Amino acid sequence: MSTVVLEARRLVKSFGRNQVLRGVDLSISSGDRYFLFGPNGAGKTTLVKLLTGLMKPDSGEVRLFGEPLEGEALAIRARIGFLSHEPYLYGELTAMENLDFFGQLYDVPNRAERSKALLKEVGLFARSHDRVATFSRGMKQRLGLARAILHEPDLVVLDEPYTGLDIRATATLERLIREKSAKGTAFLAITHDLAQGLEMATRAGILSGGRLVLENDSSGWDEFSERYLDVMGGGP
Amino acid sequence: MGAVGAIFQKELRVEFRNKQTIVTYLLLAFLILTSFRFAFSSFDKTPTAIAAPVLWIPIFFAGMFSMTPIYKREVDESTKEGLLLAPIPHSAVYVGKLLASLLVVFGLELFTLMLFFVFFPFDLPDMAALMTVLVLGTLGFVALGSIISAISSQLSQAGVMLMVLTIPVLLFTVVLSAVSATSEIFGGAGLADVGNEVRFLAVFALVFIATGYLLMDFILEA
Repeated sequence: MSTVVLEARRLVKSFGRNQVLRGVDLSISSGDRYFLFGPNGAGKTTLVKLLTGLMKPDSGEVRLFGEPLEGEALAIRARIGFLSHEPYLYGELTAMENLDFFGQLYDVPNRAERSKALLKEVGLFARSHDRVATFSRGMKQRLGLARAILHEPDLVVLDEPYTGLDIRATATLERLIREKSAKGTAFLAITHDLAQGLEMATRAGILSGGRLVLENDSSGWDEFSERYLDVMGGGP
Repeated sequence: MGAVGAIFQKELRVEFRNKQTIVTYLLLAFLILTSFRFAFSSFDKTPTAIAAPVLWIPIFFAGMFSMTPIYKREVDESTKEGLLLAPIPHSAVYVGKLLASLLVVFGLELFTLMLFFVFFPFDLPDMAALMTVLVLGTLGFVALGSIISAISSQLSQAGVMLMVLTIPVLLFTVVLSAVSATSEIFGGAGLADVGNEVRFLAVFALVFIATGYLLMDFILEA
C-alpha cells in the first residue's frame, strides 16, 4: 500500500514583485515517479527548493512523511536525496572521498562498502581514487546520483537529471529510478524532455505561470502531451 | 561530533590539495620577514617596539588568505546546497570550518614564529605569555573572519569584502591588544603584566565564536 510521502498545499513564493508560485498543491506517494514539466521561468526549480527545504514559502505548507518541513527538520532531511544539474561534489576530493564525506554527514552504515557498491552501479569504480576535478560532466552527474541515493532516501528529487548524461549514463539513471521506485522510493523529477520524462513517469504535471495547470497518470499521456505543447506555445 | 569531524577533515583535505593558500602565505611571510630583516640590518638588535608588528603582519595576512575561501569555495563549487540539505545542524558546518581554519592558521603561525626568531636574534621572551597572546589573538581573529567570510561568500568580490568588513573591527580590538601585549612581552613582560590584554582577547574570541555558532543558521540560509 502506498503512503503519502510529500504533500504541498497552496505554496506561494515571490521574489520582489515577481510572484513565481501562485498556490501550488502537490502530492506524491511512495513508489511514484512524478515528472514535472514546464517552460523556462515556470517556477519548477523554485518549487523543488521549497519542497526540499532549501527555501521557505511566503505562504502554504510542505509536509514530508507526514511531518511539516519546519526548522532544521534533521530527521526529514535524512530521508531526502537531491540531485540537481549541479552534482554537489568537491573537485579536490576523489570520488570515494566525496561519497565517504556525504556518508558521514548522513550517518550511512558500512560507508565504505556502500560507496564501493554505488561506484560500481554508476560505472565509476575504476575511477574511485581519482579527483573529481578530472571527471567529465557526465561522470560528475553519475557520481552525483550515487551521492543522492547513498543514504537510501525515501524521496529522491531530481532537477534536470539528464543534463550532461550520455546514453549509457541515462540508461543507468533510468534503471536505478525503476529499481528504487519498485521498492517504494518516491521520485520527483524536473525535465524539459517530454518523451524521456513520460517514458519514465507514473504521474506527471505541468507547471506554468506559477500554477500546476495539469496533472495526469500514464493513462492520459496523449492529452498530457497535447496540453504540454499548448503551454509551450507549440500547439494548434 | 561526526558531522563536525567530517567537515573538519574535508576542509583540511581540500586546503592541502589545493595548496594555493598555504604556498602563497609561506612565500608572503618569508618576503615580509626578509624585507624587515634587510630594513633593520643596521641595528645590532631589533627594537622591541617594531618586533611585535613585524610578527603580527604576516599572521594577519595568513588569516585573511585562509579565511576568504572557506565559504566562498562552497558557493563557487555549488556545494553549499549539498551541505544545507544534509541532516546536520548548520552550526556543525561553522564549527568544522572554524576548527580547520584555526589549525591551518596556527600551523602558518608556527612557521612565521620560527622564521621570525631566525631572522631577528632576540633574547627569548616569556614563551608562555607569547603563546597565550598568539593563540587568543588568532582565535578572535579567525572567529570574526569566519563569520564575515560566510556573509560575504555570496558576493563576487568576497575577498575584498572580507578585508573591508573585517579590518576596521580588528584594528581597534584584536590588532591593538595583541600587538601591544606582544610588544610588552618582547620588552620583558610576563603573562601577569599583560593580563588586561589577555582578558580582552579571550572575551573577544568567546563573543565571536558564540556569535558565529548562534547566527550560522541565518547566515547560511540567507
